Amino acid sequence: MDERPHPTADDPLVLTGLGVALGASCDPTPYLRQRKLRKFMGVQDDLAVIAAGRALASAGLAGAALGERVGLYLAVGYIPFDESDLETLHAASCEDGRFSMPRFSTSGLAAANPLLTFRCLPNMPAFHVSTAFDIQGPYVVTYPGAAQLYGALEAAAAALRSGEVETALVGGVAHQRNFLVERHFARIEPPASAGPLGDGAGFLVLESASRARARGAPVHGRLLACDVAYRPWDPFTEGIAARERFDERAADLDLGAASLPVAVAAAASGRHHHVLASRDGFEAASVWERA
Amino acid sequence: MRHRVVVTGMGVVTPIGLDVRTFRDRLWSGVSGVGPITLFDPAALPTRIAAEVRWPDPLPRDRKIAFALEAARQALEDAGACGSRPRGDGGVSLGVGLELFSMEDVAAARAETLPPTRAERLTFLQTPSDLCVHAIAHRYALPAPPLTHVSACAAGTDAIGAAFRLVADGRRRFMVAGGTDSMINPLGVGGFCRIGATSTANAVPARASRPFDRARDGFVLGEGAALVVLERRDDARERGATVYAEIAGYGNAFDAHGISEPHPEGRGAYQAMARALADAGVSADVVDCVNAHGTSTPKNDPVETQALKRLLGERAYRVPVCATKSMIGHLISAAGAVEAVAAILGLREGIAHPTLNLDDPDPACDLDYVPHKARRHPQRYVLSSSFAFGGQNAALLLRHADA
Repeated sequence: MDERPHPTADDPLVLTGLGVALGASCDPTPYLRQRKLRKFMGVQDDLAVIAAGRALASAGLAGAALGERVGLYLAVGYIPFDESDLETLHAASCEDGRFSMPRFSTSGLAAANPLLTFRCLPNMPAFHVSTAFDIQGPYVVTYPGAAQLYGALEAAAAALRSGEVETALVGGVAHQRNFLVERHFARIEPPASAGPLGDGAGFLVLESASRARARGAPVHGRLLACDVAYRPWDPFTEGIAARERFDERAADLDLGAASLPVAVAAAASGRHHHVLASRDGFEAASVWERA
Repeated sequence: MRHRVVVTGMGVVTPIGLDVRTFRDRLWSGVSGVGPITLFDPAALPTRIAAEVRWPDPLPRDRKIAFALEAARQALEDAGACGSRPRGDGGVSLGVGLELFSMEDVAAARAETLPPTRAERLTFLQTPSDLCVHAIAHRYALPAPPLTHVSACAAGTDAIGAAFRLVADGRRRFMVAGGTDSMINPLGVGGFCRIGATSTANAVPARASRPFDRARDGFVLGEGAALVVLERRDDARERGATVYAEIAGYGNAFDAHGISEPHPEGRGAYQAMARALADAGVSADVVDCVNAHGTSTPKNDPVETQALKRLLGERAYRVPVCATKSMIGHLISAAGAVEAVAAILGLREGIAHPTLNLDDPDPACDLDYVPHKARRHPQRYVLSSSFAFGGQNAALLLRHADA
């Protein structure tokens, strides 16, 4: 029987760590427990590991044995194929300018980057974060945007309240400045993006106030409220415009699944409202108090 | 307060049946759905077999969307067969596969020629996987915020588990949950061939998927979907719905080990199953049957066997372990959901379905895997597990409706 105190109204969820990684050029090697995994990592994986590492360090958990009592709640963006990988595969699979299955099954496959499969799976950022920081607890891995991160946040808060985990690492990652994702957003009407697409990852470490106090953790803020609503819509006939704001400022960059944690991490002290009306029918809002 | 959560509707689209009754009959009979790939010309790919869904009509390019919509229709009609719909606002929790990527479209993408209609543009080059969720929510008027799960081979189990938690905690009144996937396309099959994950027993398709057998050489790719309706037991009773089973517990865990190989002692697999039992407040002694992940890969099957031995102790040798993938292949993000339905059918009717092609058990796989033929086996609790490439592991504990 779990006798540990669980967060309640008197024992709120507090923010003990924050970490951000922005831009597509970054090196996660210092965080990797298994350096051999570096070659399997794509940009989303790099960003996620770095932001998670920074969040855990900020929470005073760098190098800690995280194990079974830490959960990971992650939203990942659309699959980002590198154009060069695709170009190589395509060139070796074409005959007379058209895709040829006989060519694909021989020269195409032989020319393909053998690591491509690993780099395009949406569960790989979760794998790399769990392995780099030895997280063996429960998880939610969802997709593909800012609204889904609210689903992950909801699950994390429930897991903390039930005592299923002591610490929740909640984050989002999106590699959007590439051929495939840019093309995806370009074909949606009305315009789907709240701003220019960016690459980034952000993680928040959430714990109960009592747990944070007990381990002497720094408290960077509190989650005061969080809510999500949804209007069902038909994606094949209907489009929804996207809006996102943090306080009264429009977001500078559309960071997709990473937008909420990046905004919270960048906020000054005081109370902040994150409000999202996503292109996929969600309306979500959260209130944070930064220390 | 935690609500008891029951399954009141089920829908499936599988390689051995396009409805629950046919799926059940063929499961009990041990029918294989594996054959040569017909959805495209596999040419010289090392793997040229798969378990395809035999759909009577032409399907849209991204088959998993059609599969999910059909499974949702069946599940909701089934849940409403008593004359009333589940109470309150429902939502969708769906495990989905990779975005469908069309190699044929790459050249057209270079030429910047976009198709004319919105629907065609949305599926041009790459079809986002979350379209399934919105299509189901819209068609069946499910306004609670949906969840999309992308934990690969564990996604179907995670989707049902997450939905169970939402209903049990009172955060949703009812949920339509499951998984859908189809990777039987050039890039899907080619990608698995490139990493040597799939069986190359092309000459004997029906014998290629052989979980726990010494001659297994990789998994056979399948496709399909399963969705279930989950609601509070009290609601189901009040409206007179048929209760197929209760979701008693759910757990998941990371291996935190290797990218393509499970932890050598099945650490994450064990943890996921142990957490499902703890979530239900029961010990491993209650487990009467296991629906295994059982992929037929050299690495998974012995590790899963070890994890089950650790979980069940001496009883491990007396608890039947069934591998649905021996008949329908590996449905990836839909696997856990289809296998949960298989487990519920067995639980309800007291049948342990067979594991096909288990002619020469691997010495490292020495449990009772119900080889070749179904067996009458009354059950109160069954465990259904899924373990993903990338170390995500999930398990559901299902309880008989009358237990």
